Amino acid sequence: MLMHEVLVVGGGLAGLMAAYAVSGKVDTAVVSKVYPTRSHSGAAQGGFNSSLSEDDSIDNHIFDTVKGSDYLGDQDAIEVLCSDGPQVIFELDRMGVPWTRTDSGKVAQRSLGGAGFPRACFAADFSGHVVLHTLYEQILRCGVKIYPEWHVLELLVEKGRVVGAIVYDMHHARLEVIRAKQVIIATGGYGRAFQKTTNGHANTGDGIAIAYRAGAILSDMEFVQFHPTTLYGTNILVSEAARGEGGYLRNTSGDRFMSQYAPEKLELAPRDVVSRAIFKEIKEGRGFDDHYVHLDLTHLGEAQVAERLPQVRELAIRYAGVDPVGAPMPIEPAQHYSMGGIRTDIWCRATMPGLMAAGEAANVSVHGANRLGGNSLLETVVFGRRAGIKALELAQEEPWQGPSNRVIDDALGRWKDLIAGKGRKPSKDDSAFAIRQEMTSVMTNQVGVFRVGSELEDAVTRLDQLKERYGRLSPAGHAQPFDYGLMDHLEVGYLLDLGEIIARGALLRTESRGAHFRLDYPKRDDKSWLHHTFVRLTETGPVFSEGSVSITRHQPQDRGY
Amino acid sequence: MEVTLEISRFDPNRDTAPHFQIFKVDVEENRTVLDTLFLAWHQDPSLSFRRSCRSSICGSCAVRINGTPRLACQTLVRDATENASRIVLEPLPHFKQLKDLVVNLEPFFESLKAVIPWLIPREDYRGHMDPEVARKLEGPATCILCGICEATADGAGRIEAGAWVKTMRLASDSRDALGKHRMRLLQVPPDILRLFIKDLPDRCPKGIKIWEEVVA
Repeated sequence: MLMHEVLVVGGGLAGLMAAYAVSGKVDTAVVSKVYPTRSHSGAAQGGFNSSLSEDDSIDNHIFDTVKGSDYLGDQDAIEVLCSDGPQVIFELDRMGVPWTRTDSGKVAQRSLGGAGFPRACFAADFSGHVVLHTLYEQILRCGVKIYPEWHVLELLVEKGRVVGAIVYDMHHARLEVIRAKQVIIATGGYGRAFQKTTNGHANTGDGIAIAYRAGAILSDMEFVQFHPTTLYGTNILVSEAARGEGGYLRNTSGDRFMSQYAPEKLELAPRDVVSRAIFKEIKEGRGFDDHYVHLDLTHLGEAQVAERLPQVRELAIRYAGVDPVGAPMPIEPAQHYSMGGIRTDIWCRATMPGLMAAGEAANVSVHGANRLGGNSLLETVVFGRRAGIKALELAQEEPWQGPSNRVIDDALGRWKDLIAGKGRKPSKDDSAFAIRQEMTSVMTNQVGVFRVGSELEDAVTRLDQLKERYGRLSPAGHAQPFDYGLMDHLEVGYLLDLGEIIARGALLRTESRGAHFRLDYPKRDDKSWLHHTFVRLTETGPVFSEGSVSITRHQPQDRGY
Repeated sequence: MEVTLEISRFDPNRDTAPHFQIFKVDVEENRTVLDTLFLAWHQDPSLSFRRSCRSSICGSCAVRINGTPRLACQTLVRDATENASRIVLEPLPHFKQLKDLVVNLEPFFESLKAVIPWLIPREDYRGHMDPEVARKLEGPATCILCGICEATADGAGRIEAGAWVKTMRLASDSRDALGKHRMRLLQVPPDILRLFIKDLPDRCPKGIKIWEEVVA
């Protein structure tokens, strides 16, 4: 058994920022199923919102975020996000983040969707990548212990308190127990529940599902963001920065159709608005091959594209065969971000003592029903840091507790049996691959941008059937180093749990708000639905309840763009 | 098109030496070699290969493709089958094969620690940086630590090539108190570094350009 006072699960931006904030004062470790620099935070392109300019203000940033969230964001948390932003950007600068600069040498800022001001700090279109690598450098400086390619399987719970975790070491194909005073989940989102997603292969919502199974409350899982511009076919992300730098969306007639949907903000309306507009254009016959529209950068000129969007250009050339300098890119919306997650307070504490969460895995909630571009990267560093600060305080205050041998033996026994395939027959006619394919197809086709009651009901039924099939399945049982068959088996299990509550939550919420759009209930309904969707696992399955929304300064208004 | 994959298989618990396994997969030519690996994995779930972002930014899937170290997700099937409808996939050279295409990355990541791989801010840094300097950092700052430069280097020493790039990135940073003094940490003759910088854009999957002035 290993012991670390603070155990961070996940080595992306939120996890590394949390570990950085704790390190040096109490014993800290990061467990990550990939090497930290492989985390999907590195794929984020656009930037980190922060009101740095004299012409901008923290109040403006707060208002844009509240409105962007369709008034479901918790305003106390949004105040923290926006107020801490400038300080964190300054800290990242001192750590060595190579921000793109203005002519006068200040940190440059660009426009992203739903913002009233160019306030996203960036490094070309590698913004997530450079901050991830800078934080990794700082983690090396602080001597934080890293367990790369270790997979957390289960949280150890003693009398309602999280006291550690069971982990699986991929390299040595063995189970290990890590005892901890505080466990911080920072494992990102669950994009791989969907067939069409910008997310990497590792984004399977592990930490969220594990916390849910341990008894933590999740919140707002039905709010799933679909990014308007992903390369048609591969769904590789084309940053919102492409529109921030001046890109146009065009239909088959060459029209900039956003003027019909968001006359003021046009292409820089929030993502939920733009994604719906694109699907509507396609549905009404103004899409190319009935499947995609164009993102046109040709008027920007080679110099601007090369300087500000080099990665977008390279990705489009390689994966779509189109150089955006000379021709428009074919794009379609795809799943991109998980607004829902482990419910936390503004100090990142989950609903169980000993458990915390930050970043995309958490629901604090700064994004409410729809996240603005540039706010998720900001959230990872602001709330990652706060999680670290609070975990440090709690770890110093509290004595070691549990886990008892009984809790450890019980958990280890179950996992040993599962990995060995004990009590289940290896199934010849079914596989985790087959179940994953059907699940992701149900999620994309029936729990996507446009939702309707009958389809959601059918999705719930089909997901239930898939869960039943999954229950009979045993992992391939190779018990070998780097057993990705086992990993796949585990991931499909997490995704099925999450898929079920996304679909059920979407079915329950009979209104349209932010990214959740019900064709059968197309209006926002503040009277019945201005509350969070809480969900908790009980012996009889998920139980849903209402959670109140923090409204401090902005009462809900109409949300036109 | 139908593509034949020859994949190096090695399980330390069963094998004394690696051997090749043949897979036949049906794949469109504008898909990537990583996509073909997924198809092979679906045929045999015991096949091990690292993957994550599938968009050339995480560095997980560096392998040897027809003899050349490359990112599987960055290599189109069309390009890998230019000469024959056969793709040979092996682990990165200069790294220890742990299982199939998975290699030991520990020495590569460990050697970063030898070069003080973090910025030590100058006391007089006040938040402004010449935009030209910032532009020069962009190249080396896009390093994804995939290990391909190490796999193609001619026997670098204790400090591996990824740490060279990190050193040169930090040495070029006007905020850093050590600056060019960092180059001494590498203990590599300037001529060798110049050659490395010259070859890097062609070998590196991110085409990283380093300004030679950092060596002088």
